[in-house]
Amino acid sequence: MSHSTEIDSKQAWDGGQSPFRISYGKMMMWFFLISDALTFGGLLVSYGFIRHKYADVWPKAENVFTHFPFVEQHLPLAYVGLMTFILIMSSVTMVLAVEAGHRNDKQKVILWMFWTIVGGATFVGSQAWEWYHFIVGTETGALRHVWSQELGTYVEQTVYGANMTVNEYGVPQFANYFFFITGFHGFHVFSGVVINFIIFLNVLKGTYEKRGHYEMVEKVGLYWHFVDLVWVFVFTFFYLL
Amino acid sequence: MSEFHDDYPSYEHMAHHSEEEGKKARRTLWNVFWIMLAITVFELIIGSMAPSHGWSGTLWLKVLFIGLTIAKAAAIVMWFMHLGHEVKFFKYIVLVPYVLFMSYTIFIILDEGVYSSDQENRTKVDPILIKQQRDLKAGHGHHEQSGSEHHEKPTETSHH
Repeated sequence: MSHSTEIDSKQAWDGGQSPFRISYGKMMMWFFLISDALTFGGLLVSYGFIRHKYADVWPKAENVFTHFPFVEQHLPLAYVGLMTFILIMSSVTMVLAVEAGHRNDKQKVILWMFWTIVGGATFVGSQAWEWYHFIVGTETGALRHVWSQELGTYVEQTVYGANMTVNEYGVPQFANYFFFITGFHGFHVFSGVVINFIIFLNVLKGTYEKRGHYEMVEKVGLYWHFVDLVWVFVFTFFYLL
Repeated sequence: MSEFHDDYPSYEHMAHHSEEEGKKARRTLWNVFWIMLAITVFELIIGSMAPSHGWSGTLWLKVLFIGLTIAKAAAIVMWFMHLGHEVKFFKYIVLVPYVLFMSYTIFIILDEGVYSSDQENRTKVDPILIKQQRDLKAGHGHHEQSGSEHHEKPTETSHH
């Protein structure tokens, strides 16, 4: 791909061109992504810190996420594996849309962006499904000390599922971090789907065909790949380790 | 950009490529995808084998998973996000500050994490949960961490 050719470093700073050989919009998207990546980096580092602190009572992901749609058996991590596959797949369709944009191939851009949106929406739905099962919990539940408002003390009680105060599977901190980080990521995916859809409509309308280039697709693609990038880390730190 | 007629080059149009180049680019992208899929499947297989083989929580497993994650991340950034195609100087502008800052943050938790594992130094944990986890580790009631067994009533709740 002839995206950019290296130029003489002396010449690069002489003015009349960008020393980065990149358009303003794309550069700013990169800078936004760096700041967003720092946010996620901070969240994951903080997660690691708390997890280390409560290592002995931290739940194991394979005991928590065992459900798979329409299947009765316990299939640990199978569903999250599928979700990861869907997101990586949608990343590929996105980059294929960008590639088609570089050839001004409108039909292919429409096709690949459509599949990207489908993949993204499926991922968000899967996450909602996973949250649902995490919140509802197992049939047996688990015994915990729960604060009783009337008695003014802690009483033993069977709790089901997880929320911000009690967690059937382990310490409440696990649920707090799970909801916050996957929620923050899920919101990124959701906004990605919305932005992708807006750009998709513009492609259909022929806005970029008139403009002569599909750089908007490339910019939204950068954001979309970033969402995939974050998921790669979330997947490792929440489900694998 | 038709609206502006200055001497600046149009980087938007410079990104265009021919049918031939496109074919090559697509082949690369699909190869990257297959490699990433293989890594993910491998991770899941190792992850599902870990508990029964006693690998859970071992250092080599953590290093393996984090290493593979960084490999996948690098593939996404370099090929999917085309950072590999950008000018060298821009590549460093993006990567160097981030890598420096994250290395610093990770160094801090690895260093300060020593204090955090101090059992006395954390918010009190439900004693029932501690007992359940201990039973789980001891091996009995592997699938019954759900507390249906009889629990001794703790003599004192350490909540406040």
